[in-house]
Amino acid sequence: MTTEPVTAEELRETIARQFGRSLHIRTLDTGSCAVCEQEIRLLAAPHYDLHRLGFFFTPAPRHADLLLVTGPMIRAFEVAARKTYDAMPGPRVVVATGACALGGVYPEDPFTNGNAGAVLPVDVWIPGCPPSPLALLHGLGVAVGRLAEKVRDRSFIAPLYPERAVGDS
Amino acid sequence: MTLWFIRGIRRGVVTTRYPARPDASAIDLPTPPAFRPRELTRQVADGVVAVCPSSALRRDGDVLVYDVGACTACGRCAAVAPRAVTSSGEFELAATGRSVLIKRIPIGEEAP
Amino acid sequence: MTPLDLLYAAGAAWLAAALAGLLLARTPAGLRACCALSALGGAAAAAGGGWSLLYGDTAVVSPGGATVTGGPLQLQATSLAGVFTALLGVVAVAIACFAPRYHEPSPGTGWYLAAYNVALLACLGVLAAGGMVTFLVAWETMSLACYLLILRHPRSGESARGAFWFLALSEAGFLLVVAAFVILSAKTGATSLPAIAARAASVPGGWRAAAYLLALFGFGFKAGLVPLHVWLPEAHPVAPADGSAFLSGVVVKLGIYGIALFAFRLDPPTGTWPGLVTMGGGAVTAAIGILYAMAERDIKRFLAYSTIENAGIIVTAFGAAMIFHASGQQALWTFLLIAGIYHVANHGCSKALLFLEAGVTEHATGTRDMDRLGGLIRRLPRSAVIAFTGTLGIAALPPLNGFVSEWLIFQGLFQGFRAGSHLTGILIVLAAATLGLTGGLAVYAFVRGFGIPYLGMPRTRQAAAASEAGQPVIGPGLLAVACVALAVGAPVMLAALSRAARTVTGVSLGPLLLPGKLTVIPAHADFSAFSPTYLAVFLVCALAVPVLIYLAGRPRARSVTVPVWDGGIVSFRPRMQYSAMTFSAPTRVTFDALYRPAVSVTRQADHDPAGRSGPVHYEAQVTPVFQRYLYRPAVRALEWLADLVRPVQSGDVNLYLLYVFAVILLAYLLGAV
Repeated sequence: MTTEPVTAEELRETIARQFGRSLHIRTLDTGSCAVCEQEIRLLAAPHYDLHRLGFFFTPAPRHADLLLVTGPMIRAFEVAARKTYDAMPGPRVVVATGACALGGVYPEDPFTNGNAGAVLPVDVWIPGCPPSPLALLHGLGVAVGRLAEKVRDRSFIAPLYPERAVGDS
Repeated sequence: MTLWFIRGIRRGVVTTRYPARPDASAIDLPTPPAFRPRELTRQVADGVVAVCPSSALRRDGDVLVYDVGACTACGRCAAVAPRAVTSSGEFELAATGRSVLIKRIPIGEEAP
Repeated sequence: MTPLDLLYAAGAAWLAAALAGLLLARTPAGLRACCALSALGGAAAAAGGGWSLLYGDTAVVSPGGATVTGGPLQLQATSLAGVFTALLGVVAVAIACFAPRYHEPSPGTGWYLAAYNVALLACLGVLAAGGMVTFLVAWETMSLACYLLILRHPRSGESARGAFWFLALSEAGFLLVVAAFVILSAKTGATSLPAIAARAASVPGGWRAAAYLLALFGFGFKAGLVPLHVWLPEAHPVAPADGSAFLSGVVVKLGIYGIALFAFRLDPPTGTWPGLVTMGGGAVTAAIGILYAMAERDIKRFLAYSTIENAGIIVTAFGAAMIFHASGQQALWTFLLIAGIYHVANHGCSKALLFLEAGVTEHATGTRDMDRLGGLIRRLPRSAVIAFTGTLGIAALPPLNGFVSEWLIFQGLFQGFRAGSHLTGILIVLAAATLGLTGGLAVYAFVRGFGIPYLGMPRTRQAAAASEAGQPVIGPGLLAVACVALAVGAPVMLAALSRAARTVTGVSLGPLLLPGKLTVIPAHADFSAFSPTYLAVFLVCALAVPVLIYLAGRPRARSVTVPVWDGGIVSFRPRMQYSAMTFSAPTRVTFDALYRPAVSVTRQADHDPAGRSGPVHYEAQVTPVFQRYLYRPAVRALEWLADLVRPVQSGDVNLYLLYVFAVILLAYLLGAV
């Protein structure tokens, strides 16, 4: 087991060097409705094909570089989630995805922690309910430093005279 | 089996080229809303806050606090206030900090 | 001085031990004295048996002109019986070391030990019998003594039933054995075994075949051949642990000795088909034995079925030997005899060991049910190590003894292409394939048999509370040492066995079998070769290599200790483990045509609208196929016959007078003729 990188710069460098072309993802369902899991599973299908980008799924946290967390981190799952994270050798990245894991859908439910960040140190947050496979690919790209964050610059203020028709979501 | 193979050859490669090139199907995705501050009166703001099922919208004085991370793209806020809310069309929403996803939209002002 | 003198000493010691048991076993000191005498007898028997391997056959002796029920008492120490006698001695010594710590001194124990030592004496009588009458009397005495042995707790219905099965099938076998001996004796006109053997060639073929078949079935009852095996799983669980060890380790082997006696010494068949029947029966026995073992939760029943399996393997080897003899392949005939007898010694030691350990487990935890045990390796560490040695030996895993003898048997069977016709060759290969299946299943079964009770977490409080204090260790330990010695000393053993086999078959395999000091070649030089000693040494060294690499590399590589990845389980519960029945479920599902399980599932609250159910009760019973479809109809037929004959005993005095008159008339007429 190698030592974990200390500074953010080191982490970025390590990630780009080690994970840029091959990343092993371990998915963790902490009590979701499993629709996020379906979208994640679609990633391996021919249309999105995450293998062409060098990402792979692995069931063993010992072989994993990235932990993809879905679900609102129910209390019954805390120990298992912590154990999974502890079993991953460094350097490791935690990605929380889906509105549940980001603290949206069940923020005050007594049986959940509300969001994944309450138990695990999350590095990348991917919104969506469920996040489409394209959003997931973008998020994974951000996690390995290949793609840039765009949401930081986006203010979500719509132009006054939009080109699109109203009410089509 | 042969039919399936021939059909596949004729359709060609269906794998998307994303992220190297934009994906054509992205236009059909349900996406979180974008707000127009001019149409967003206090009343409209309270209306969309009340109707949001996943606590993504909150009113904090003169500001609509909009948590993109909590949004489920259900479309209720757009249904209630179609002039104030439109679909943003943004799906590349990954962020490295949770606070980056919380936007503050001023109520009742001109767009900057 | 001949080996027979040592056997006399053993017999005297055992007689004294029986008396001591009867009179003295109420006190701890008396119990120890009785066991010491028994051990002395065992040592003498072991020495005598080992010596007679090398000495050859002694002359038939009738000490002091003594007679047994009208026939002369004829004793002879033969080399064929040598291994069996040595095994008897070793097991007796081990049990003698085991018994003082296992039994409580009481009058019941006194009776038990007396019966046990009489049984030892009777077994010695069978093995040292030089004449037909001596053999039969000793055999019957052994059966009766073993019956008393099994019936340690006469008040218990279960105990009585198990002992009854043993007695009933022993008597059935005895009738057939008497018939076989009587045929041979009448046709050759002799009663001493060497004389019968010398004149056997003059007996007409039909009678010889009949005698052999009767002997096969008669001794098959004792040896545990399917479908004559039914007493084994019934009698072993109810007998005390050392009684079961004696039964499986020695008594079953006596059945095999009887078959070997008829097949190799008295009545070597000339045609192929007796050998085919023997081999087929043996192969079927082996497969069915281990399959039934997979479905057992009771440790002793499980071991009993494994005994049946191994008896099948040995009998298969003997059958193939007979086929080779009929095709003129004398070297292979002798070789398979040697391999079969080697397996007798190996299995006897391993199985006795495992039964003694089952007794230790039962003593320490109060249960024989595998599903109530677990984690015993931490609570009974020495017993676990010894049991593991026995398990390796039984499952025929290198480098221990079972592997050597099974390898030899397989090598002999693989040479089936040298047998006469193509059909015979194919049948021999089929038998080898069946033994292969058996071997694989045996490993599976014994992983279960050792893993479920000894490894993992304790499944009940009794298992967690087991302690090694006061448990017998020397007795089983002795057998473990014997197992290792039989493996590492295989060349020595094989040299002795080939000398013994030369006396029986006249073929000397020594130089063919052991060209170097440590390598074994099965009968034909162009086939294969193997050295058990080198294998044992190599395996130990190979296991040491990773350890050495770790020790050498450890200072240089910085390592972090983290908990084992266990799937994120919060806390382990004993119920999360495999149970004995779930571990064997794949086998039971695959072979369910054999088991025919009767499954009953009852569910409380079946009509809950939400679909929830209360506790589910699931029960699956293996159908006792042989009892139900073979023995019960046979018993019913017998009862029907008895009903038919009942009117003869009507109770009417006039009818009885008529009988008397009719018999007198008949005698008069016959006398006149």
